[in-house]
Amino acid sequence: MLLSLNWLREFTPFEGEAQVLADRLTMLGLEVEDIKRPFDGIKDVVAGRVLTREKHPEADKLSVCAVDVGGPEVLRIVCGAANVAAGQTVPVALIGTTLPNGLTIKKSAIRGVESCGMICSETELGFAEKSSGIMLLPDGVRPGQKIAQALSLDEAVLEVSVTPNRADCLSHLGLARETATAFGLPLASPRAAVSEHGPDAGSLIRIELPEPDLCPVYQARVIHGAAIGESPLWMRLRLLAVGVRAISNVVDCTNYVLMELGQPQHAFDLALIEGGVIRVSRAAEGQRFTTLDGVERVLTASDALICDGVKPVALAGVMGGANSEINDASRDVLLECAVFNPAVIRKTARRLGLSSEASYRFERGVDQPGSLTALNRCAGLIAETSGGRVLTGIASATASPWTETKLSLRPKRARRILGLELTDEFCRKTLTSLGCRVEAAKDALAVAAPPYRLDLTREIDLIEEVGRVYGLDRIPAKLPKVAKDLSTATAAASEFLLWARLRAWAKGAGLRETIGYSFVGDKDLDLFAVESAPRIPVANPLSEDQNVMRPALAPGLLLAMKNNIAQGNASLRLFELAKVFAKDAASPTTARESGRLGIVLTGERFAAPWPNPREDADYLDLKGLAEHLFASLGLPAPAFERAAEHPWLSPCVNVTLAGRDLGQLGRILPEVARAYHARKDVWCAELDADALCALLAARRNAFAALPKFPPVRRDLTVIAAQDIGAQTVIEAVWSINPKDLEEVILADLFTPEGAAQRNLTLRLTYRAKDKTLTDPEVDKTQAALISILTATLPVRV
Amino acid sequence: MSGGHTLATEIEGLVGECESLLGQASSFEALEALRVEFLGRKGRLAAVMSRLPGLEPEERRQAGAAANKVKDTLGALYLKRQDALARQAETAMLAAFDATLPGRAPAAGSLHPITIVTGEICTVFRELGFDVVTGPEIETDFYNFEALNFPPEHPARDMQDTLYITDATLLRTHTSPLQIRTLESTAPPVAAVAPGKVYRRDSDLTHSPMFHQIEGFLVDREVSMADLRGVLTYFLHAIFGRDTRVRFRPSFFPFTEPSAEADISCVICAGSGHAGTDTCRVCKGTGWVEILGCGMIDPNVLAAVNLDPEEYSGFAFGLGVERVAMLKYGIGDLRLFFENDVRFLAQFA
Repeated sequence: MLLSLNWLREFTPFEGEAQVLADRLTMLGLEVEDIKRPFDGIKDVVAGRVLTREKHPEADKLSVCAVDVGGPEVLRIVCGAANVAAGQTVPVALIGTTLPNGLTIKKSAIRGVESCGMICSETELGFAEKSSGIMLLPDGVRPGQKIAQALSLDEAVLEVSVTPNRADCLSHLGLARETATAFGLPLASPRAAVSEHGPDAGSLIRIELPEPDLCPVYQARVIHGAAIGESPLWMRLRLLAVGVRAISNVVDCTNYVLMELGQPQHAFDLALIEGGVIRVSRAAEGQRFTTLDGVERVLTASDALICDGVKPVALAGVMGGANSEINDASRDVLLECAVFNPAVIRKTARRLGLSSEASYRFERGVDQPGSLTALNRCAGLIAETSGGRVLTGIASATASPWTETKLSLRPKRARRILGLELTDEFCRKTLTSLGCRVEAAKDALAVAAPPYRLDLTREIDLIEEVGRVYGLDRIPAKLPKVAKDLSTATAAASEFLLWARLRAWAKGAGLRETIGYSFVGDKDLDLFAVESAPRIPVANPLSEDQNVMRPALAPGLLLAMKNNIAQGNASLRLFELAKVFAKDAASPTTARESGRLGIVLTGERFAAPWPNPREDADYLDLKGLAEHLFASLGLPAPAFERAAEHPWLSPCVNVTLAGRDLGQLGRILPEVARAYHARKDVWCAELDADALCALLAARRNAFAALPKFPPVRRDLTVIAAQDIGAQTVIEAVWSINPKDLEEVILADLFTPEGAAQRNLTLRLTYRAKDKTLTDPEVDKTQAALISILTATLPVRV
Repeated sequence: MSGGHTLATEIEGLVGECESLLGQASSFEALEALRVEFLGRKGRLAAVMSRLPGLEPEERRQAGAAANKVKDTLGALYLKRQDALARQAETAMLAAFDATLPGRAPAAGSLHPITIVTGEICTVFRELGFDVVTGPEIETDFYNFEALNFPPEHPARDMQDTLYITDATLLRTHTSPLQIRTLESTAPPVAAVAPGKVYRRDSDLTHSPMFHQIEGFLVDREVSMADLRGVLTYFLHAIFGRDTRVRFRPSFFPFTEPSAEADISCVICAGSGHAGTDTCRVCKGTGWVEILGCGMIDPNVLAAVNLDPEEYSGFAFGLGVERVAMLKYGIGDLRLFFENDVRFLAQFA
């Protein structure tokens, strides 16, 4: 909402600086986002009197004028306008002045005659989009006077951000009321006198409201004999200052009252209204209607239409129709002033993407009793600016009359909620100043909310009002005691803290955390060969790249990788901990959300070339991270098994613990990796964070006594075919259950060149609980182990 | 007699020879070779001493005494030379030691700035006794809007342009649904903060379709706006420093009444409104920056979770984590948070 300070002053005598008002409004909850100086561009333009006008000796269409601009010298100015004449008072841009269009006036010779300034048109001053000839200033303007002052142009216009609850502040009157309350100033009522003539409007037009929920009240006046033309300068300039384009006197009057009082109105050409009736009803499904912007709209049964006897003439509360709008030939005007159901208007405006000044206000609610004042004010202005005559009376219908909202405010409760020491008297005075009727009742104030304050429906709303005017910033700070219930002692297992532990591990393990969008593109998922059925599409996505909720972290991590590769960051160790989404008909939200820990490794294993070997990260790096994760969180070691197949990982390895699936590790399929610009293998893990958290939360850390006797170690080199996994051999050793065996680890792995087999060196640790083992004892156990191992597996020792 | 004397002389002669050779030994290997040559089991001293049994007792005693003395002397000379060599080696090592070579460092990890700031904020509230709660990102219209006092077709819904999944489900536009979810499951007193991702149908230089919020709320008997101000002041001082001024300005949110915006004195220009002679870019010269929205929980919201507004009151607040992070770290561009450029990520730990 743009607020003209001059206009505001018609309602309340605020004489302070714009900045003072801006600060105060902001602290009242009406945030002033900017102070505009709409006419700053013409602040140096002065009035000049044309003393003489002579034809230019060298050019037929130019005149040479002697212009008095209040200075000691009369200026000679060459002017190309046909309408310039001696005796006129005109705007003059002097040498050195820069106009809003960027033109800087210089002393120049025009066809041999020196010109010391420029006589301006309205277009050159930024007052109009087009104009014919120079602008003429009203009588009484002195030569040399700044035209900004002579025309009472706005020095300051405040851009006020009005919250959705404060429809009453979408007008100069409403903001004047706030100003008057804040500064203790009187508030004037709008001028709404109208002189009536001739026949009764109600006899010309009948209003029908067959569907009372659409429109509680519809009122109309008729103005006969209006001459459609340009509205007066003062009105055009005022509209310009608050960002409204001037159209014609009748339309400008409706816009003027809209800005002044907040009531949208619509002017029809009465001659185009057929059947002598106006009816407000719902549109038919699929009905087509062309609004006055020339766009044909397809309507639904939820839209409200204004119809005459034979056709729709306006999309109620949103925009008028092309078939009945005021045009240059219009003479008689039907001026509509109605109130519409906010929800109906909002639905239509949103569906059509057509938010107008009118719909914006109707959605938020307008002052029903006040609409009569607005109608009269507008009819009077139309008569004044068009020469028309307002007919007697008002054609109207009321479906539901306004009823006053009666409330009660307990000042004691206001003090309790706000934490402020407000007096009863302050509460009474404030509410009265805001337009409420206030009477003292027992322990409370009986308050009747004014019709323009549709947001005041409960005691708490009144509490907000007294707090707002007193100043929320005066509320003292006091730290409360946070009482807790015994039953809340489970917070340590909260997802937030468990996730924090996973993240702390990842950071410590040398991974960098990324955060990707929760939505990706369907085409990303197609690339990853993700099934279609469980995907959750976004119904109204911003783009095709973000039209589906991600069912896995890999696509987002690869996008992060791609962004980095584009920046030349080729060696990456990334992780993300976030939710992934899958359809779930059983869920109240239609989705199952699962926590995932995703890891991506690609490029060189070590960031620094020296003193490190130059090697690329591989499976063992990724698996090592997974093993490290379980070990450092104190969880049992999981099993890693080749999976048969996976949509985007090859090879793919399943991670399981006691038969429970905990996720996958693997290499991103090369064609997928290449699509994300990877030149090297991309290793990716996705682990079930929910399962990890459950394991963490359930973990009990019990101490095991340290061994009392020394170990005996034996290395055992097993020669096995390539396809016999290391874990197979180790498990075979365990399954033999050698006496006193404590630990088996792979100590070395060697594949002789060209050999089909590899040498796996296992380090076995033996230790007895109750004595020191002797070499012969261990040798005996080891020998037995070897004979069974070579018998059960196709291996040699 | 002469034999014993000769032998003793011979033994003593080893000292000079060994000392001279030791002096020339410049490595531990050479030193060890000398030790073996002179003091080894088959060394020269042992060879001489092997002749002792053939001597007369007196001579043998003298020669034996000399041999022991020489053995001690040679041992001492050896150790002395060994020390010298060790010192030389140490000196050489220290001379060659380059403290400036790059270390053999494990890979450096980092946390995303959003994680760091979320953690710091939640820690402050945990200190104050608040729990941390989390909830679903795909929400029902009921939890995201209706229970929070956004009636259908209310213009307040325009304040949050929504990404929908179905007609009845959507990507949560704020973390405020956690107020409802928590109060549904937990009887007052309740104090909690709810961090998480939120979504809006908005994408430009200053808006991201996904960002992070932290909702906080406290419901108990006799909670007032002064308590709200106290908690927020404590929190803002903890995050931005004790000198930060906090301002309450009336605003509107459907789920709080009265509602306020909390502003803090600009962290860039310390509230002065200008940087040198220029107007401060961050606060645009006002000296204040918006930091969060807050208010007293609307009675309709309490009623939606079956709490009697006459008996209970509470406050709620919500803040954008990106905004806090931008102010805290001086990050000027919102998009950096989601591009995941490691040159950005590496700046936070």
